[in-house]
Amino acid sequence: MIRRQRYDVLFVAVGIAALAIGILTFLTLFVDMAVRGLPRLDLDFFTSFPSRRAANAGILSAWVGSTLVMVVTAIFAVPLGVASGVYLEEYAPKNWATDLIEINITNLAGVPSIVYGLLALGLFVYQFGLGQSILTAGLTLALLILPVVIVATREAIRSIPQTIREGSYAVGATRWQTVRHHILPYSSPGILTGVIIGMARAIGETAPIITIGALTFIAFLPPAPLKAEPPFVSFEWLWSPFTVMPIQMFNWTSRPEAAFQANAAAAGFVLVFMTLTMNALAIWLRYRLRRSIKW
Amino acid sequence: MVRDLPATKAEVRDLNFYYGDFRALKGIAMPVHERRVTALIGPSGCGKSTFLRCFNRMHDLYPGNRYEGEIVLHPENTNLLAREVDPIEVRMRIGMVFQKPNPFPKTVFENVAYGLRVRGERSRRAIEDKVEQALNEAALWDEVRDRLHQPAYNLSGGQQQRLCIARALATDPELLLFDEPTSALDPIATASIEELMHDLKQRVTILIVTHNMQQAARVSDFTAYMYLGELIEFGVTDDLFIKPKMKQTEDYLTGRFG
Amino acid sequence: MTEHASKQYDLDLGSIRSRVLAMGGLVESQIRRAIDALATGDVALSEEVVAADHRVNAMEVALDGDCSQLIVRRQPAAGDLRMIFAITKTVTDLERIGDEAQKIARMSKNIHERGGAQAPPTVQVRHAGEAAISMLRRSLDAFARLDVDTAREVIRDDAGVDTEFRSILRQLITFMMEDPRTISSALDIVWVAKAIERIGDHAKNMAEYVIYIVEGTDVRHTKTP
Repeated sequence: MIRRQRYDVLFVAVGIAALAIGILTFLTLFVDMAVRGLPRLDLDFFTSFPSRRAANAGILSAWVGSTLVMVVTAIFAVPLGVASGVYLEEYAPKNWATDLIEINITNLAGVPSIVYGLLALGLFVYQFGLGQSILTAGLTLALLILPVVIVATREAIRSIPQTIREGSYAVGATRWQTVRHHILPYSSPGILTGVIIGMARAIGETAPIITIGALTFIAFLPPAPLKAEPPFVSFEWLWSPFTVMPIQMFNWTSRPEAAFQANAAAAGFVLVFMTLTMNALAIWLRYRLRRSIKW
Repeated sequence: MVRDLPATKAEVRDLNFYYGDFRALKGIAMPVHERRVTALIGPSGCGKSTFLRCFNRMHDLYPGNRYEGEIVLHPENTNLLAREVDPIEVRMRIGMVFQKPNPFPKTVFENVAYGLRVRGERSRRAIEDKVEQALNEAALWDEVRDRLHQPAYNLSGGQQQRLCIARALATDPELLLFDEPTSALDPIATASIEELMHDLKQRVTILIVTHNMQQAARVSDFTAYMYLGELIEFGVTDDLFIKPKMKQTEDYLTGRFG
Repeated sequence: MTEHASKQYDLDLGSIRSRVLAMGGLVESQIRRAIDALATGDVALSEEVVAADHRVNAMEVALDGDCSQLIVRRQPAAGDLRMIFAITKTVTDLERIGDEAQKIARMSKNIHERGGAQAPPTVQVRHAGEAAISMLRRSLDAFARLDVDTAREVIRDDAGVDTEFRSILRQLITFMMEDPRTISSALDIVWVAKAIERIGDHAKNMAEYVIYIVEGTDVRHTKTP
């Protein structure tokens, strides 16, 4: 084998080693968590509230809380993020002010999440009086992942060739028509990828949620969104106290009893599973959207 | 043969165009005759594409551009470049076909129908009829009639370009702008587009930019030679190609670039 | 004139032009030798001229082929187009002149094989021949230098050659009427004179093409070029 090819082989070996290290580490952690937690997984675990006795403790309030918070996060982050991204790419004039905004958005992505918690505490909980509620948590996390969604939106829009835009305008379309019929549909797979990344991060965030006052021991569920009587939809759940999965796990890991460690491992397993499910849902959505664009 | 001058569809009067501080077009004045093909030729960078894009206000999409002078469209004598004139209005009357075929990533049908949809046409019947008519005029109907709802990207290069022509025709433009429409196509596809232009010019006025001199000689009735942003010579194509008046034109046509 | 961006194009065009001039020179010498053979009775010379015509034909074929190639390769426009167009026509006219020279040589051979005793005097024929040769030479010169003034001169001078032809004809008619034994030879001389007149017409055509190359106007069949 000639000398140059040796470097090829070397690089492949290094690449595989790096990949292996990453995968093996994750697998080790995951398997360890599964081994310790799986025995704890049964229907009771999912349908019970936390309890002082490890055997009776469950994650009902936690996973319901996480789900509801994620819903609120998505409802706020996606429209705001996409609209901002579209505005910055398609409408904003290309001057120093826009550049400044762009730099700052990227910076925001690096701000420690607990800072968002503090901001939310001061602004949402006290100033706006939204209380220590699901709504506050959702808004906080929405702010947290907003830069991710905005950047993903902008990148997706930028990858649309200029010729498509010119083709649309040449036929007499207005800017909004071009955005609505071309820009948004063609960039939606990319936008969705950004949303997936953002949501996966949000579901695991602990610090800001603790800061705004999520409780750790909740033995009740937020009021149901659907009701028997008109108007059939209720928003009371938004103002309800709550907890989320990471907090529940944190709570259990700080208890000395080994049984609670097992609970935490089980909850961790469920959390990873929830994340993967969310991702899978988004990937499926992205696949469907990609198919509807006739590339 | 064109011997008596036909009516004028548009008239360019002392057109200057600036990219920021750079003066890309200098004092251009020429007629665009109705239902004839006028070709713009010249070396790279002479401003022919820049000039073409003034007609449908494409430059308005990008910041820092400025028009001076007039392009007057007949019969109402509107100056297309006037600030009060809405570029969207201009683009509804003047269509454009680009150098690289750029169909939308949608179905064949939706591509052609798009122009009608943005104008607010809702009647399904009307849209279907117009799409068929436009595809017929672009000599594409027979090839796509069974694939109307398949992706436009499945078509060959030449077919895609004809689809773009159909898209422009669907809105009954008064003036069609072709920006080097065949430079990305093979000779057979090129020939079919040139044939098409020959038919189209009976209904629509055509302005074409081409860097292929022989194509200009083949398809156009009038030719304008441009160099470094100026219009050097304008005349009947046969006359200009056999007996050009300006030495610069002669040099360009005979490949004397020294 | 500026050169083409392609040097090969300049070389090709230059080669074609010099070969046109070479063909013209060959044809000119053919005429001269044919007329000398007529005057001196040199039958061998006449036969040489007749034989040499195949070289003129070969040059026509080669030049036409090269012109076709140039058209296919370069798609000439404007001045180049007019030049190539005029060259192909000039080559045709030169080849025809070559044929006329061959005819003169043939007639000369006939006359002298019959025994030149009853032949009419050929002084005026010689004079007309010189005029035609001069027209040819000046046409070639006008082509080489793209000189429209010389070309216009040549066009005007064609009238003179036509007049000389008619005068030769009248002389020969008188001759034939006086002495019927000279009719055969006199008729041969008529053909020679006609050939010379045709040479003058071809030279005039070539001059008209020069004006087309330079000015772009086609002055054929017009009264005032």
